[in-house]
Amino acid sequence: MVSAAGALAMSAVLGIVAAPASAAEQEARVLILNTADTSLPGHRVVENAMRASLDSDTTRQVAYFFESIDAYRFSMEALEPELLALFSKKYRALPIDVVVAVSRPAIEFFERYGKQLWPGARVVYNVFSAEYGGRVALPPNLGGVVSYQDVAGTIALARRLRPNPRRIVVVSGASEVERSAAQLAADALSTSANQAPVEFLSGLPLQELLARVADEPADAIIIYLTQYRDRDGRPYTPREVLRAISKISVAPVYGTYETYLGFGVAAGQMESYEEEGRLIAEQVLTALAGGPFDPSHALLKTPNRCIADARALQRWSLDERRLPDGCEIRFAERSLWRRYAWQIAAALAIIAAQTMLIVTLLTQRRRRRVAEAEVRKGLSEVAHMNRRVSMGELSASIAHELNQPLGAIRNNAGAAEILIKAQPPRLEEVAEILADIKRDDQRASDIITRIRSLLRKSDFQVREMDLNEAIEQIVKLLAGEASARGVFIQAELAPGLPKVSADNVQLQQVILNLALNGMEAMHDLRADRRLLTIRSRRANDREAEISVADSGAGIAEESIRSIFDPFVTTKPGGMGMGLAISRTIIEAHRGGIRAENSPEGGAVFHFTLPFASDSLS
Amino acid sequence: MTATVHVVDDDASWRKSVARLLSTVGHRVVQYESAAQFLETAELDAPGCILLDMRMPDITGLQLQQRLAGMQHALPTVFVSGHGDIPTSVLAMKAGAENFLTKPVDTEELLRVVQEAITRDREARAVRRHLDVLRSRVHGLTPTERKVFALVVRGKLNKQIADELGSTERTIKWHRHNLMEKLQVQSLAELVSLAERLGLLGEDDHPNSRSG
Repeated sequence: MVSAAGALAMSAVLGIVAAPASAAEQEARVLILNTADTSLPGHRVVENAMRASLDSDTTRQVAYFFESIDAYRFSMEALEPELLALFSKKYRALPIDVVVAVSRPAIEFFERYGKQLWPGARVVYNVFSAEYGGRVALPPNLGGVVSYQDVAGTIALARRLRPNPRRIVVVSGASEVERSAAQLAADALSTSANQAPVEFLSGLPLQELLARVADEPADAIIIYLTQYRDRDGRPYTPREVLRAISKISVAPVYGTYETYLGFGVAAGQMESYEEEGRLIAEQVLTALAGGPFDPSHALLKTPNRCIADARALQRWSLDERRLPDGCEIRFAERSLWRRYAWQIAAALAIIAAQTMLIVTLLTQRRRRRVAEAEVRKGLSEVAHMNRRVSMGELSASIAHELNQPLGAIRNNAGAAEILIKAQPPRLEEVAEILADIKRDDQRASDIITRIRSLLRKSDFQVREMDLNEAIEQIVKLLAGEASARGVFIQAELAPGLPKVSADNVQLQQVILNLALNGMEAMHDLRADRRLLTIRSRRANDREAEISVADSGAGIAEESIRSIFDPFVTTKPGGMGMGLAISRTIIEAHRGGIRAENSPEGGAVFHFTLPFASDSLS
Repeated sequence: MTATVHVVDDDASWRKSVARLLSTVGHRVVQYESAAQFLETAELDAPGCILLDMRMPDITGLQLQQRLAGMQHALPTVFVSGHGDIPTSVLAMKAGAENFLTKPVDTEELLRVVQEAITRDREARAVRRHLDVLRSRVHGLTPTERKVFALVVRGKLNKQIADELGSTERTIKWHRHNLMEKLQVQSLAELVSLAERLGLLGEDDHPNSRSG
């Protein structure tokens, strides 16, 4: 769209000058002098509302003229002589009664040339408070409408919906007015009883902005002001930026404009452009009447009110009952009852007739569910035991893995002690050491997190997850064990695989079982022949397939069919439970598992998992 | 001369941290991320020691130590392991390791063990240097003096030597005087001890076959 940073956002009106032609019955001429592209949606709404309001008074005929100095896109210095010449030619024989000057550059243009171009016209100003750093001060004889962004009110609303936010993030553009708006938001946040840390993302290029927003936790609050421009000067449509942010953010996004509704914003203390247009009309009427502006009425503030988007509230699990009284909720599903009352009544009659049947069916289903839940619970228990056994096998290599960062930390701490005691202390090197210590500490804690996530005793919890990520986690967990056993693990992962619906822990457990089996099967090989390959691929439109291949001796033909049965084992010390549990887990995920010998030698285990229905679209 | 510690470990952060610690106390440190890299690039002339991880992907520390043990004048090797079970430490010591440490290593112990290894290397080098001097002195003998030397230290009397070499007792006495001067020894006892240190005793009873 247009450069005009806040131009859109801003709408306020002020004052007048000079005496108008007293024209009660005759035609009144109103000129809207804009700074920005007048085709911007916000301007159109304001303008239409103003005209509708003025035209409702049928005693007076109003003719409208439109000019834009387009100062956000063109240099005024270069264009002024021609603009002046054009305007003076156009309006020489056409007296204007009221000029509505929109945004600060238009007001300043009017202050310079208004008397000469439109003698006798009174002026009504429409500005955005951020254009004046939050303090619009104009001569007392002027009238106008000022729009504010109610950041404080919007944050209060956000806190109502989700108390104690971890942090507050304010997103805005990099144009001058947007920077000023961000500053005003900062002031509002510092004076309100805000205790959460505040971060400003001002003028980030879209990709970077999205990456930052995606990192915000669910208990953060994101306040979106506008983004017309990023720091590199690239133009944006604010609503499209909002749409992109809302789509990826797990933290709820709030905004201050009514036009943002439907573009992903959850709620906000919002200004209405229609209301603004109506107020401008009110000021224009006062100007046309020639009367002075009542000081208490000279500067009208666009009112704002609480509006929320029911769909967005639901998306972020915000409870609409926490909204303040009188808050308007848009996009709520109208209840079926209200729409189809009598049809439903008829349907109810039929349903009543079937009730007995349904009750029976429901009871049956409930029983089945209970049984299934019990089976799953049993599976969770057995799976947990199997994980503990597997992790036990890994404990030596995990201790080794863990001792690497711990050893490095110890050495670094020792070196730091010596450096601090040096005369003079070598603090720069100590700082480097501390950074390394932090990094190694993180590494140790990552190892522990991976272990804990597998040792956690958890119920069967299916959610959408990235298969490749799960595989990578296991490969990392096994790195130490693989090196101890002299096995090279290679992962060949298909990029862009849709997500699957699965229990993360149990899925990782299956991969772990298969990988440990594969490593075991290569025990007797020469070290440079021990290769374990884990692959992921798209099996068809509905399923992903994961394969774990070893380069060992393969499975005896007679065992291939029974290898997934409980207590069937090919390992000397094996219990024969790992593969049986793996099969149970995969079948509980509506997938399939099979084993075969690879033509190149070695055994391959394949299992499939259905894609999550959402990620297919 | 500054001692050089060769750190061979596939774990980058451990390698860096131990290198930092050792340089902080004044050692020169060279890092290798694999045994193969060590074998290709290490310069082992300076005194020092090797700090060797037991468990690395390509050649294990143990295998590397076995290869090094086959070399002459190997640097003392200190093994480091991520988990110190007894069997591995026994294997390491059997393979000729100077010492064995388990990660995470106590800083003082690490510095002490490395220092001991370096000291031992320095001592071994001093002994080798001394032997080299002695050896070069032996090289400075004439063929006849060498024969006389070999027989004297085997307890032969001048007369017996003269008979064996087809010479006179007087000539042998003269050779004997000269060779003791060249070897800078004062007595027969010193002469025998020198021969012993150079390993010239007991290998061969036929002086003619000695190449010197």
